[in-house]
Amino acid sequence: MTRLVRPARWGAAALAALLASTACGGTGGGGRGDSAAPDGSYSVALTEPDHLTPGNTTSSYSIDVLNGVFDTLVTLDPADGHPVMQAAQSVTSTDQRTWTVRLRPGQTFQNGEKVTARSFVDAWNAAAYGPNGWANNYYFANVEGYKELNPEDGGPAPRTKALSGLRVVDDLTFTVRLTAPFSPFPMTLAYTGFAPLPRAAFTDPRRFDVHPIGNGPFAMDGDWQHNQRITLKKYAGYRGPRPAKGAGVVFRIYASKDTAWTDFQAGRVDLVLNVPPAHLPQARRLLGDRLRGTPSGTMDYLGFPVYDKRFADPRLRKAFSMAIDRRAVVDAVFNGAYQPMASLLAPNVPGYRKDACGEACTYDPAKAKQLLAQAGGFHGPLELWFSNADSSYEQWMTAVANQLRQNLGIDRVAFRKVPASDYLSALSGRKETGPYRNNWVMDYPSAQDYLEYMWGDGNRMGWHNQRFLDLLKRANSAPGLDAATPLYQQAEDIALAELPMAPLWNWTDYSAWSERLRGVRPDPYVSLRLDQITVK
Amino acid sequence: MTEPTTLDPPAAPLPEAAADGGVPPVRRRGGDAWYELRRRPLFWCSAAVLLLAGVMAAVPSLFARLGPNEQCDLLRAKQGPAGGHPFGWDVQGCDYWSQVVHGARPSLLVGTAVTLFALAVSVVLGSLAGYFGGAVDAVLSRVTDVFFGLPFVLGATVVLTAFPGHGIWAVTLVLVALGWTTMTRIMRSQVIAVRESDHVLAARALGAGHLRVMTRHILPNAFAPVFVVAMLNVGNVIAGEATLDYLGVGLQYPTVSWGLQLNMAQDFYADHPHLLVFPALFLSVTVLSFLLLGDAVRDALDPRLR
Repeated sequence: MTRLVRPARWGAAALAALLASTACGGTGGGGRGDSAAPDGSYSVALTEPDHLTPGNTTSSYSIDVLNGVFDTLVTLDPADGHPVMQAAQSVTSTDQRTWTVRLRPGQTFQNGEKVTARSFVDAWNAAAYGPNGWANNYYFANVEGYKELNPEDGGPAPRTKALSGLRVVDDLTFTVRLTAPFSPFPMTLAYTGFAPLPRAAFTDPRRFDVHPIGNGPFAMDGDWQHNQRITLKKYAGYRGPRPAKGAGVVFRIYASKDTAWTDFQAGRVDLVLNVPPAHLPQARRLLGDRLRGTPSGTMDYLGFPVYDKRFADPRLRKAFSMAIDRRAVVDAVFNGAYQPMASLLAPNVPGYRKDACGEACTYDPAKAKQLLAQAGGFHGPLELWFSNADSSYEQWMTAVANQLRQNLGIDRVAFRKVPASDYLSALSGRKETGPYRNNWVMDYPSAQDYLEYMWGDGNRMGWHNQRFLDLLKRANSAPGLDAATPLYQQAEDIALAELPMAPLWNWTDYSAWSERLRGVRPDPYVSLRLDQITVK
Repeated sequence: MTEPTTLDPPAAPLPEAAADGGVPPVRRRGGDAWYELRRRPLFWCSAAVLLLAGVMAAVPSLFARLGPNEQCDLLRAKQGPAGGHPFGWDVQGCDYWSQVVHGARPSLLVGTAVTLFALAVSVVLGSLAGYFGGAVDAVLSRVTDVFFGLPFVLGATVVLTAFPGHGIWAVTLVLVALGWTTMTRIMRSQVIAVRESDHVLAARALGAGHLRVMTRHILPNAFAPVFVVAMLNVGNVIAGEATLDYLGVGLQYPTVSWGLQLNMAQDFYADHPHLLVFPALFLSVTVLSFLLLGDAVRDALDPRLR
C-alpha cells in the first residue's frame, strides 16, 4: 500500500494549501461597494419564508421579517424574557382566565389606518377560524369558542366566524376569556401569530401576503421578491416604543446556509443569523467579536415510540439515554458549540434545573448495559428516524448509532432518513418504528411551552401519564410564576423518570456581522431586533 | 471492423501465408487483442491497481485491523494521522484507514454490477432494435430516448428520495435504469452496420434462424465497441454512486463507502483536510484505473483508433 500512501501525503499538502488560500481569501464582510444595500440600510441573510401574513406562519424566517413590520402586544425582555409592553399599554387579569388588553393610543398601520381593538380581534378570529387553515390556528385553542370554529374533520362548517371569548370593549380595549386559567398568557402575546391586521389584509389576502402592512417600525419597500429579496424601509409615522435606528433592511434570500456564509465572507451580506456549527472554527479566526453565540431555547431530543412494546419499558429507554455520551457528540459534530442537556427545559426558561435528569442523562456504558439486560434486552433491527433537512442530523445520528452498537451491543442499526417535508407528518401519525430526532424551537420562555406541547395530550411518543397532566393543569392555573414553577418541575420529574423522550443538547445560535454594523445584540428571546441596528 | 470475421470457427490460415512461413500465424480476434494489451504498460498499471482494489473489496481484513464502524471513539474525532493510525480518525472517531479500506467494496460492487446489468440490457435491446428494425426498432428507440432524456443526478435523487431506507441493490437498480441508454444506442448502430454484410446474408441464405444469425454472426462482430464503452462506464458509475452518496441520497449507514466519507467531510474539510483527501484519493485512483483500462482495451480491439 505504500504506493497509494505516498501520493496521499502530497495530495494532502497541496489540497491544504489550496483550501487555506480560498478560505482566507475573503475579508469577512469588510463592507465593500457591492454590499447590495442602499445608504443607511443593511442586508441580512435569510432563507425563503413560507408566508408573510403573521397569523399564517410558524416559520422562523418569516418571523425574522415580521418582527420588523409588526408590533405585537408585548415583547420579551432581552435579559430575562419577561413580557414588556409594546403595542399594548397593559395586559391584566384578576383570575388568570379573563384578560383585559388596553392598547397604546395613537398607533397607525403603515397605510394610515388606525390600530384599534378591532384590528387584533379580527386578526385572531381569522387565525382561529378552522376553514381558513392558517398555520397558527392551534395557538388560539385555549380561547373560549375555539371548538365552535374548528369542528372535527367531516363535520358541518362552523356557524360563526368569531371566537366567543373575544370581546371589544372600546376602540382601545378588548377582553379575552380563556377555557381555563393560564398565567403565562401575557408572555405568549409576544409571538407574531398574535399581531394585529389592518382591513387591507381581508380585502385582498393574496396581495397582503407578499406585501404585509403592519404597525411596526419598518414598512415593506416593494413586494416580496420570492427567492430573491424582501426590502424594508423605515416607517416615518411610527409612534411606538422602538423606532428604527437604521434607514432600512434588505433581506437577501439564500437556498442554503452554506451559500449565505460564503456570501458573507465575500462581503455581499452584512448579517448572518445562523452560522453553521461546522464553520465556527474558521468564523472565530476571521471575525473575533463580530461573531456572537447566544444560548437559544432550541433543544434536540431523542424520542421513543412508547406505543411500540419494544420501547415500553422505561429501563430500556434509560439504558439508551445513558449509552449516549452527549458531550463527546457535541464536541465531535458541532465543534463544541451546543450545550449537553440534562433537563427537558432550555437554560433560559424559568424553572430550569441544570441536573434535573440526574443519572439517566449521565454517560455510563456499564450501567446502561446492565439496565438493558434488566429490561430483557433489545430485539430486532433498530431503526433511527430523522429528516434530511440538514447534514448535521445524520452526523449526530451516526455518532448515536455507533454508541448504541458499541455500548449496548445492538448489532443491526439502520437509518430512516425521511424527506423533510414528510417528517413531521410521519411523527404525528406515529409511524416511527424506532428512536427519532425531535427538535423544539421555543415560542415563549415558559415551561408550559415545552411540557404541554411535547409531553401533553396527543404527543408523538404515545405516552400518557395522568399525574403529569394534572400537575400541568394546576401549574397553568397557578396565580404567578413563583407558584407555577414548582408544579412544572414536579411534572418535569415525572417525564424524566419515565423518559419517553430523552434530552440531548441545547442549541447556541451564532450570529456574525460585518464591520459596517453597530448595535447588533442577539438575545435568546427575539432572534433579531432590527430596530436597534445602525450602519456606520 | 471493415472486414467481418467470426470468432468461431477461426478463419483458416491463407495458403500463401502458411507456405511462406515467415508471417506470424493469424490469430483470432480475442487473441489479437490480448497480444496488443500485453504490450502496454498502462494496462498492467491499471490492472494492478484494480486487482489491489478488488482484493481490498473482497477481503478487507487483509488490510484493515478493524471492522466497519468498529471501536469508534468520539473523543478522537477528526484527529489527523498518528502512530498506528496512518489516516487519522474520522468525524465519528473511527480509525480512518480501516474505514477507507472498507469503503472499497460498495464502490466496486456497484460499479461492476451496474455495468454488467446495463451491458446485458443494452446488448439484448440494441440487438433486437438493430436486427429487426421497423416497429420493434421504433418502439425500443423511443423508449431509449425517453430514458436518455432523464438527467442523471435529478432522476436518481427523485427516485431514491422517494424510497428512503433503500440498500445497495436499490441504488444499483436506479443506476442501471439511468445508465443503459448510451450502450443500447451504440449496440443498435453496430448491429445495423453488420446486419447487411455478406457473411450475414450468406448465413441467412443458408437457412439460419434469427437467433443463430444474431448470436453467431452479428453479436461477435458488433460487441467490441459496446464492450469498450462498458469498461469506461465502470469508472463513471463508481463516480456517479459516490455523487449520490455525497448528496446524501445514495448508500446509508451502516454501509461504509467513499462517497459517504466525502459527504461527511464536506462540512469539516477546511479545518481537517485529511477527511477529504484520503477517500477522494482512493476514489479517483480507482476511477482513473478503470478509465485507463477501458482506453487500453479500446486501443487493442480497434486498431484504427491508435
